[in-house]
Amino acid sequence: MADQPTITPLAIPRLRRGWRLFLFFTSAVVLTGLVSLLFADLLWRTGWSTSRTVLLVLFVILFLLTAIGCMHGVYGFFIRIFGTRRRITGLKPFKEQSIAGVSTAIIFPIYNEDSVRVLEGLRATYESLERTGQIEQFDFFILSDSTNPDRWVEEEARWCELVRDLDALGKIYYRRRLFNEERKSGNVRDFLNTWGKRYRYFVCCDADSVMRGETLVDLVKLMETHPTTGLIQTVPALVNAESLFGRIQQFANRLYAPVFISGLNYWALDFGNYWGHNAIIRTEPFMQFCDLPQLPGRKPFGGQILSHDFVEAALMLQANWEVWMAYDLEGSYEEAPQALIENAQRERRWCQGNLQHGLVLFAKGLRGVSRVHLILGIFGYVASPLWLAFLVTFDWIYCMQKFTGLSDITVESFNPYLHDLSGTQHAFLIFVICMIVIMLPKFLSLLDLARDWPRRAQFGGLLNATGGVIGETIFSTLHAPLLMLWHTRFVLTNIAGISVGWTTQKRTADGTDWLYAIQRHWGHTLIGVAWGGFTWWLDPGLFWWFTPVLAGMVFSIPLSVLTSRRPLGARAKMLGLFLTPEETRPPMELVSLRSRMKIHELTGGDCLKGSHHGLAKAVLDPYVNAIHVSLLREKELNPVYAEHFKRIGAGSEGVRELGEKLLAVGPEKLNHTERMAVMADQGVMVWLHQQAWLRPEEKLAPWWKAMIREFSHRDN
Amino acid sequence: MEPALKILPDVSGEIAGRSLEEWNAAYVKVENYFHALRIRNKPLLGQLVLRVLERAQRRAPRETGRTATEIAAEEMDRIVTDWFSEVLQTSPVGSEHTLSTRGRLALLLADMPGKWQDQFLRPGPWPAEFVEAMRESFFRAGPDFQLSKMAPRPLDLGPITTLTNFGRLPYVRIVLIWLFFGLVLFVIFRQTHGGFEQLMNRLSLLIDWFK
Repeated sequence: MADQPTITPLAIPRLRRGWRLFLFFTSAVVLTGLVSLLFADLLWRTGWSTSRTVLLVLFVILFLLTAIGCMHGVYGFFIRIFGTRRRITGLKPFKEQSIAGVSTAIIFPIYNEDSVRVLEGLRATYESLERTGQIEQFDFFILSDSTNPDRWVEEEARWCELVRDLDALGKIYYRRRLFNEERKSGNVRDFLNTWGKRYRYFVCCDADSVMRGETLVDLVKLMETHPTTGLIQTVPALVNAESLFGRIQQFANRLYAPVFISGLNYWALDFGNYWGHNAIIRTEPFMQFCDLPQLPGRKPFGGQILSHDFVEAALMLQANWEVWMAYDLEGSYEEAPQALIENAQRERRWCQGNLQHGLVLFAKGLRGVSRVHLILGIFGYVASPLWLAFLVTFDWIYCMQKFTGLSDITVESFNPYLHDLSGTQHAFLIFVICMIVIMLPKFLSLLDLARDWPRRAQFGGLLNATGGVIGETIFSTLHAPLLMLWHTRFVLTNIAGISVGWTTQKRTADGTDWLYAIQRHWGHTLIGVAWGGFTWWLDPGLFWWFTPVLAGMVFSIPLSVLTSRRPLGARAKMLGLFLTPEETRPPMELVSLRSRMKIHELTGGDCLKGSHHGLAKAVLDPYVNAIHVSLLREKELNPVYAEHFKRIGAGSEGVRELGEKLLAVGPEKLNHTERMAVMADQGVMVWLHQQAWLRPEEKLAPWWKAMIREFSHRDN
Repeated sequence: MEPALKILPDVSGEIAGRSLEEWNAAYVKVENYFHALRIRNKPLLGQLVLRVLERAQRRAPRETGRTATEIAAEEMDRIVTDWFSEVLQTSPVGSEHTLSTRGRLALLLADMPGKWQDQFLRPGPWPAEFVEAMRESFFRAGPDFQLSKMAPRPLDLGPITTLTNFGRLPYVRIVLIWLFFGLVLFVIFRQTHGGFEQLMNRLSLLIDWFK
């Protein structure tokens, strides 16, 4: 049972935080105000109209968001130069803190993920923790919510293989839920309800997380040193990318994140945020205060809270616990999508969750800073339709101006310094300011790198890093309009309550398939061509201003396909572009992970081929069957799971009949629910194993004969 | 135990009343199962299969209605279960299924395929290390349960709660679409009829009035 913590007054005086918040956001507001004034003046000079009011409002909102981003870069840069003690790792010495007798669970909630990758990541983390000599204080849990029976069986078999390899029976556990109610948050809650009280802390990992042992130990030490801290979020480094897209994202993350998160920590301090993984959480207050309620109303806003992490952090803060971001702790890793479309698929899920925060925003009792985190999250997506609206409104105004025959400039600027500027020059000045505000954090990140010799070398030198920043800027300029269109679609469809169905991505060994890219991007290309044509028709001069936006749309198909290619990523690596510290000096955990993944790739695993191979394995393989049945047996001891077994009819005559049908006619004749019911019934699974091997082939469905033949000829 | 299989067929071309093809099918079935148990040593595999077939051949003349494969598979299951019972010191009566599962799991955890193939199905006594590995191999997917129940605290969204139920009113979406359409028409009208200038004129009148 975790110790009952004592809530003590907050470590940072409120006044100091207030000043920090005031200073930070005032800087953004002042910058926005000044530039908006210039923009309003430009609009005034060209003759005010309703559409110009709309344009100005959109400009203010969009610029404010950009300015906030810029301020993160600026504040972060100076904090990194002058240093600060106002960070969780700098408040008190923690390295000597003992963690003897402190129990921590490391959980990996998974859902139909590639079990090879998940377990190899876990292995790398486990081995790294073992090297610290503190493994005794930690237990690992694979918390499966997989609904694909093949994945389910593979997870079980690989888990068993892993614990045998590592001699970690009783250290690495596996649990699969029968019903994945409330997705990941429900999965974690189920773990906490079953075992939570055994652990003082738990570290939540993602399926692709890898964490260094020392980092995990440090996190526990930090929690022990700061008894009022409820959650510490690390800043995971993106790693293992091979495609060009993945490597660009990874490079941007590694170069810009330290500066940005330093800036974030400046105003957030102990009112930080939670990103859902690679974070340590104090179990007791989390269980007490962070269980998520259902939101009122219907989907997409009502019902289950999808993006649980921000809300959990807000609830933790509401209950007077601190939430910190340990941005200077290295050794926390995750992977990112390898292609544009994959990335958009992930964005779609996140978009829905973030829009839902629109309701949470009004919850009474939340900290103001939590509301800021929520607003920034929401605007991460809502900014796209606003940007699109800005561009369309601009086109409309330009069009009206042209067809009404009005002169461009009607009055002089209010500012005597701008009197001599033409309308185009005035617009260009604003454009340059906008570009500076967008580019400044990147430039400061590069400057930050330049003054840090060891880190500079890890990025392949300043020249290579500069090349990388230029390349990344070009790519993100092309990518941004696509994100704008995607996000707009996600936001609108979510608000309308329309579910956007995406088929599984068709990937070749090298990346996105051309045909699939055409299916996903033809709309973008069409919009780009039509918009470009319209702009050219309107004014060829204006067309050239729009080319950065239009180029991303028009060339979306080749952009999507080519950046998903691994050879291009490798070529860029050879040229020294987009190098990251984990590429130039890979830590042992990642070396181990990569080499093992390579072995799996070369050996191709030992899976049976064809449909329902998981079911075949669970029935035919004497060991996999034994593992599967033993896990079901153990699960029945939990009254909650026992209830679930009853719900699916395990142990009933009906399931036994389904088992008989399965043998006689094969799995194709059973639906998914029926197959899952059979697989969840331990008695039927033992019986099936026996019958599949005892019955003569004539009494089995042809599918079983084929499976037995395949199974018998493989080298297990 | 030495297998005493009658490998040559009688005059009718049969062994124990079954055709050679039938025994071949039985052989394949038994061999497949032992193969699935990762018995990779060929001589050992052959020996184990023959031992099962020998027992099946003894039974075959008495069970004329059944195929050689069925009898051999049953014998294989019995031999394996009995052996598990001996090694794990558990009575097979009434716990065949549990015993079979536990036995297979013990084989895996004791690494029979890697270290102890020579001991598989061999009558005792067995090496102490093997027995210990088999009997003491435990299998736990999780630590002891320590059950509790998290309870969500309701979020007080204030008037927003009422708003979220707004969409439940009948035809509200249709009305909203009409309202939106009306708004679009209004904007078009304003844009094409100098609306903003009128607004500014009114504002300046208001300012003058204040002055």
